[in-house]
Amino acid sequence: MIEVENLSKTYVDTPVVNGLSFYVPEGQVLGFLGPNGAGKTTAMRMMTAFLPPTTGRVVVAGVDLDNDSVGLRRNIGYLPENVPLYPELRVDEYLRFRADVEGVSRSELPERLDDVTERCILTDVRRQVIGTLSKGYRQRVGLAGALIHKPPVLILDEPTVGLDPNQIIKIRELITELGKDHTVVLSTHILPEVEQVCDRVFIIDRGRIVADGTPDALRRKLIGNPMLRVELRDAGETAPEALGRLPGVVAVERKADGSFVIEHIGDSDPREAVFRLAVDREWVLLGLTQEQATLEDVFVRLTKADEAVAPTGEEV
Amino acid sequence: MKALSAIVKRELIAYFSSPLAYIVMAAFLLLQGALFALIVGYLSQPGQSSMSILQAFFGGTIFFWFFLVVAPLITMRLVAEERRSGTIEVLLTSPVTEAQVIVGKFIAALVFYLSLWMPTVIYVVMINTQAAVDWGAVAASYLGVALFGALFVSLGLFASTLTRNQIIAAVIAFTGLIVLFGVPLIRGLMVSSSVLAAAVDHADLWQHMADYSKGIVDTRHLVYELSLTGFFIFLSTKSLELAKWR
Repeated sequence: MIEVENLSKTYVDTPVVNGLSFYVPEGQVLGFLGPNGAGKTTAMRMMTAFLPPTTGRVVVAGVDLDNDSVGLRRNIGYLPENVPLYPELRVDEYLRFRADVEGVSRSELPERLDDVTERCILTDVRRQVIGTLSKGYRQRVGLAGALIHKPPVLILDEPTVGLDPNQIIKIRELITELGKDHTVVLSTHILPEVEQVCDRVFIIDRGRIVADGTPDALRRKLIGNPMLRVELRDAGETAPEALGRLPGVVAVERKADGSFVIEHIGDSDPREAVFRLAVDREWVLLGLTQEQATLEDVFVRLTKADEAVAPTGEEV
Repeated sequence: MKALSAIVKRELIAYFSSPLAYIVMAAFLLLQGALFALIVGYLSQPGQSSMSILQAFFGGTIFFWFFLVVAPLITMRLVAEERRSGTIEVLLTSPVTEAQVIVGKFIAALVFYLSLWMPTVIYVVMINTQAAVDWGAVAASYLGVALFGALFVSLGLFASTLTRNQIIAAVIAFTGLIVLFGVPLIRGLMVSSSVLAAAVDHADLWQHMADYSKGIVDTRHLVYELSLTGFFIFLSTKSLELAKWR
């Protein structure tokens, strides 16, 4: 559905996006994950024909950006960062405006308006002036505008930024719902968001894709062995050594609070053995927790290696 | 076509939902009304009938001072505000061309400008009850008003594509208007037979308007106003395309 080949953007010798190449099949929800200034917004602006790429090729639903920029834009519903809207318009007026600009025919218009207002839960506020709406509603108005012409591809730049937790949950549910009949590319720097919403994640740093995979696969591949936290009372000095001899255990570390963190190989489960050992040595077992490392750790590891600041290119 | 009319409509809603529009309208009518009353009073004195009211109203210098303030106020928001708020990104990633965006905004601004003049038609009707009105001259005067409006609005629109800041856009438009108006003022510095002097005579907007107010529609004037308008619309389109690179 989306093909990107060697896409780059360079501002005066500084590459902001550096040779992105990827393919997104129909129906996939892809997340761009990266720190601020990683080039996510610039990449999206090039994919939506807003910024001309320095080099590279973009094809969306079979339409090549170089040959038919207007045609490519027809296939995309785009929600820019911070959801720019016209505050003086009513929700209905805005959606009609978007429909006309996007080329929705007069006969389809009433049905499209009903569909997007219902999907984005805007039915109650259709007559309200946009400037008076809360941020959560404005986000949904922007999303409704992006959906009005039934685009096969949705590109959403930071769709949950600046919302309160309830609003975030609603928008995420909405995106998950939209993912069923759209190909979606969204960007975020919030990790749980990717894990909840996306089928696939790119971790982007300084204009490059540094990791590509499902959220699960990335976690497995990049985090290493699982960890087990063990809290014991009355454990003597021999405890680390004894724990270390359990089957599957790779390493034991004693934490400052007196608990132990055991690293063990992926398919082993030393919990039972820890329990039996504790009973055997008459230690009191207070806690046994499997620690699942999050994408956060991957993210930090991949993007923190070099603190050099990439130019943002946020301004237009 | 539908996209174009949608852009025009949205701009008009923006004009008429902003307090600025009503303040501009009120100030405009107040000044025009005062001017009209002064002219009628002046021409009513014995021995002052050598000039028609239309000539005094449209052909006088005061006519131009309105534009200096009103045109930049009308146009400063057009593109600058969309660039500041980011709505330009939504607009230019929808299947419309830069030219459609510019032409749509130009039409909307011109319609708003003409709506400022609409109430002044009452003056003509009022004169008609007291004296004979030369309807040809009336038509030519309003044609002049419309042509000048188109020219100044296109200049202001171009200024608005150059920046994200409405005030800067207004200042640039203001400066451009002063240059356009000021051309005849440097006429005195030139050798009267030189080519340059002839060019300046040709570009003398004060003279153009004086002619329109007498009912003279000179095609050279018409071509000057229309071609400059087209030129500024073209520049605005190019400038909007370039704005993506900045």
